[in-house]
Amino acid sequence: MSDYDLVDIEVNHDSADELFDSIEDSTDGRDHLQSIQAARLQAGQPDSELQSLKQLDENSVKLLEHQVDAAYRALFEMDGKALLADEVGLGKTIEVGMILKEMHFRDTSDSVLVLTPAQLAKQWQAELREKFGLEFICNYDDDFEDFTAHDYIIASIDTAKSDRHRETVLGRDWDVLVLDEAHYVKNEETERYELIDRLSYNYAFFLTATPIQNELTDLYNVVSLLRPGLFGTRDVFHQYFVNSNQETLVNRNELQNRLNKVMIRNRREETDIDFTDRTVDTRTFEPTEKERELYESVSEYVKGAYSQSQGQKLVLMLLQKEVVSSPVALKHTIEKRLDEQSELTHADELESILELIEKIETVTKQERLLDIVEEVRENVEMGRVIVFTQFRATQQQVLERLAEEGYTVHAFHGGHSSSEKEQIVRDFESEGGILVSTDAMSEGRNLQFCNILVNMDLPWNPMRVEQRIGRVHRIGQKRNVFIFNMALKDTVEEYVLDRLYHKIDLFQQSVGELSSILSRLEESGSSFEDQIFDRLVNADSEVDLENDFDALAVDLDEQRELADKLEEFNNGVFSGFDLGADDD
Amino acid sequence: MIDGSLSITDSAVKQFTKEYLDSVGCEIDSGEDLWQVTIPDTAATELGSGTLSLATSEDIIEQEETIHLHPESGFFQELLTEACARRPVGKFGIEAKDAEIEIPIWIQKSEASVAKVQFTPYYDRTALVFLFKISIETVSEYEREILRPIAVDTRSGDELPKLEASYLRLTSLDGSVPTTNLIEIEEQKIEEVLENSQSYVETRIEPELDEVHQEASRAADAEIEEYRQLQQQHLEELEEKQERLSEKIEDLNEDIDTGDQEKRVAALKERKQLNAEYEEIADEISDVRERRDKGFPVKQREIRERHALSVDIQPITATEVEYERGEVEFELIRMDNTKSLTLGYGSGVGVTDEVACSSCDQRFDQSRLIQKIQPNLTCEDCGGQ
Repeated sequence: MSDYDLVDIEVNHDSADELFDSIEDSTDGRDHLQSIQAARLQAGQPDSELQSLKQLDENSVKLLEHQVDAAYRALFEMDGKALLADEVGLGKTIEVGMILKEMHFRDTSDSVLVLTPAQLAKQWQAELREKFGLEFICNYDDDFEDFTAHDYIIASIDTAKSDRHRETVLGRDWDVLVLDEAHYVKNEETERYELIDRLSYNYAFFLTATPIQNELTDLYNVVSLLRPGLFGTRDVFHQYFVNSNQETLVNRNELQNRLNKVMIRNRREETDIDFTDRTVDTRTFEPTEKERELYESVSEYVKGAYSQSQGQKLVLMLLQKEVVSSPVALKHTIEKRLDEQSELTHADELESILELIEKIETVTKQERLLDIVEEVRENVEMGRVIVFTQFRATQQQVLERLAEEGYTVHAFHGGHSSSEKEQIVRDFESEGGILVSTDAMSEGRNLQFCNILVNMDLPWNPMRVEQRIGRVHRIGQKRNVFIFNMALKDTVEEYVLDRLYHKIDLFQQSVGELSSILSRLEESGSSFEDQIFDRLVNADSEVDLENDFDALAVDLDEQRELADKLEEFNNGVFSGFDLGADDD
Repeated sequence: MIDGSLSITDSAVKQFTKEYLDSVGCEIDSGEDLWQVTIPDTAATELGSGTLSLATSEDIIEQEETIHLHPESGFFQELLTEACARRPVGKFGIEAKDAEIEIPIWIQKSEASVAKVQFTPYYDRTALVFLFKISIETVSEYEREILRPIAVDTRSGDELPKLEASYLRLTSLDGSVPTTNLIEIEEQKIEEVLENSQSYVETRIEPELDEVHQEASRAADAEIEEYRQLQQQHLEELEEKQERLSEKIEDLNEDIDTGDQEKRVAALKERKQLNAEYEEIADEISDVRERRDKGFPVKQREIRERHALSVDIQPITATEVEYERGEVEFELIRMDNTKSLTLGYGSGVGVTDEVACSSCDQRFDQSRLIQKIQPNLTCEDCGGQ
């Protein structure tokens, strides 16, 4: 494929003087044997076992064989520069976690930079902390200063390439670079590519389930960043490996040999992962008249306040979410706003909302929750049910109501210390009953011993929904999982549930699949929550709102289809392609 | 090709450290996780003096004066360097005992069994075994370091690959060298054999070199191509710039032809300046084109030189190995038949004769085993005939 005599080989025989000088000393055979053994040990590979594995807490992370194997190969067979390209849902983050843990154990990672799409940065931080005990600072943390002030950093790639940070990111020699969703650097003409190309690092681990996005050149670009020269020039790569219609590979064996040096791809069918079934039951309830009135006046207020000042977006978004969670959650926020007495708080309107809250006697969702709990508890072991809500006030009220009815209850929220949290989970496992949790539970903890989950309210960020489900429906869950979603009719919740989440089949997606959809969507700009809120406040009429949500659903659907197609395409390209370790 | 390295496991580290410290005259009081080492002033080592605490387990909390002993620890690396330099030249003798006679694979794997083996040594032969440290370096690849033994008969100058395998086996951490002695070969002879060995080792590492060479060539090729594209882009930019200048000059020509005097003078001045710029760019364009047409030889050379492979070969130990040559007699049994087979043999070297099937005349080896032993030896392919 190319002229391989391009470069010269210069062979130099070092002087043997030292050897000859010691001829006279050759007195003792045992000493000579030791000199030989020392020389042989010096040339030997250091013990290449994953020594840090035994330090991992089995309750925090269950390692699978293919993950351990991938971490081992990336570290010891690929000299610490690898493209981890497992199919989605096989745990590439776990593989990187193991790699980083091992490097930390061996003191070879004084500075680590993990670059991810913005939406996934916090999730990475939580996983590395909770599963591997590795503390990273994230660029969204309040105490993040800049890229020179910390040694273990997780950052969105776009923050890293921004004018504000680029020079400091590039000005440093990193020990380890981790790049999530590496296909975003497929195009060599982008600033992202340039950033990675110019970064200085000793070890690098790139992750993607779809190394090929549009054309096979993508693979060339990503691999060339990791191992420049492995594929020769772009033209040579094309002539030799890609047939003219761009869709299939030729000279597969040679390509496989080269890819084997840098890429690891595990396929679902080759692993022993076996998920049980997941059944989703979405229940929509008619709110009482008073609840309806409250919902409408809050929505009206949010819309009006937002049109006057967009700076209050976060708090307005909060009100809109709370009104469908519980009146009591809403009450707390409104009282706080009234206390602050800002000019923009529209005290009158807020006071009248408070009055509406006071008038509510029956909280529909809470009552219906009792139905669900009663309905399922007889069918599950020790009546274990997890109820998720986003708000502490809702949680508190639900706990009280359930306790009144005589249920054993457990509360879990972010205010508990780490050991308290562990104790709560242990109690829930041994005593059974109902665990009412905020999203502080979403990350890290595993509750495979429970298989019923109720979403009392729904986060507008689909990743959060999936993280909730991921607590129970994960490797190690032996029973089918049942998920109940509760929504009030004709509210934003119903839109989000019906038009968006069901449209993308959210409740059946794995975290990996979802992150590929969302990170594609993120490419187009704003976050998912923002998009929901903007549609909600900007719609002029009911019909407009429906149309807007439908349009968003179409976008999502397109991203999902694209993600599916890409996955399929990559599988097609790599099919019949054994990317496991060479036998010889 | 045989790899000379030993894997550095925790147990290897412990075993070697203990044996070495003992051999240089240290006293070791070894607890399960902590060793107390006393190094007398008379000890033949630079590793320290007085007492040392060596922690052999990760569980021991690091305290002052406690050194952790693990494969990557500075102490162990220092110890290896010292041990390696201590007696790099020496002598072993390999005696052939009947029980250790190596039976050729084509007998071992066949259906014939060996009832009796007897080795009769006729004379002693000498070989030299060198351990070569080879480092292969190029800019686009990690430096590779390999260790290769080369064994050469000092009289015939022949390579003895089987002796290399025996040498590695005997010098492993669990191996034991039967006899050791003072080296007898003269320095001049060693130099002569070393020269042969150097050329043998070069041939043996060819597969590794080829692989790195291909990688390096590809990397150089990619860099040259990038440079070529960059220059092409530069050329296009220059051509565009030249065209813009040309248009400007054209406009000025018009001003000069039609404008009033003041305008004309200004235009003339400007045209002169632009013409100079134009010429400069034209020169640069022609320079780039010329270099392009020749294939950018200077840059190419520079890139190739930078990607060149540098291979350093260094002999780090030399061992005189005395082995016995003679004949071995195998008594073979297959069903009711027996046969006596006498072959040339060397201790540590194995059978030196080649034996062929009496029917097809093909040499016996691991894929051509003996089938019949009477009246003559025949292979499996010919066995039934």
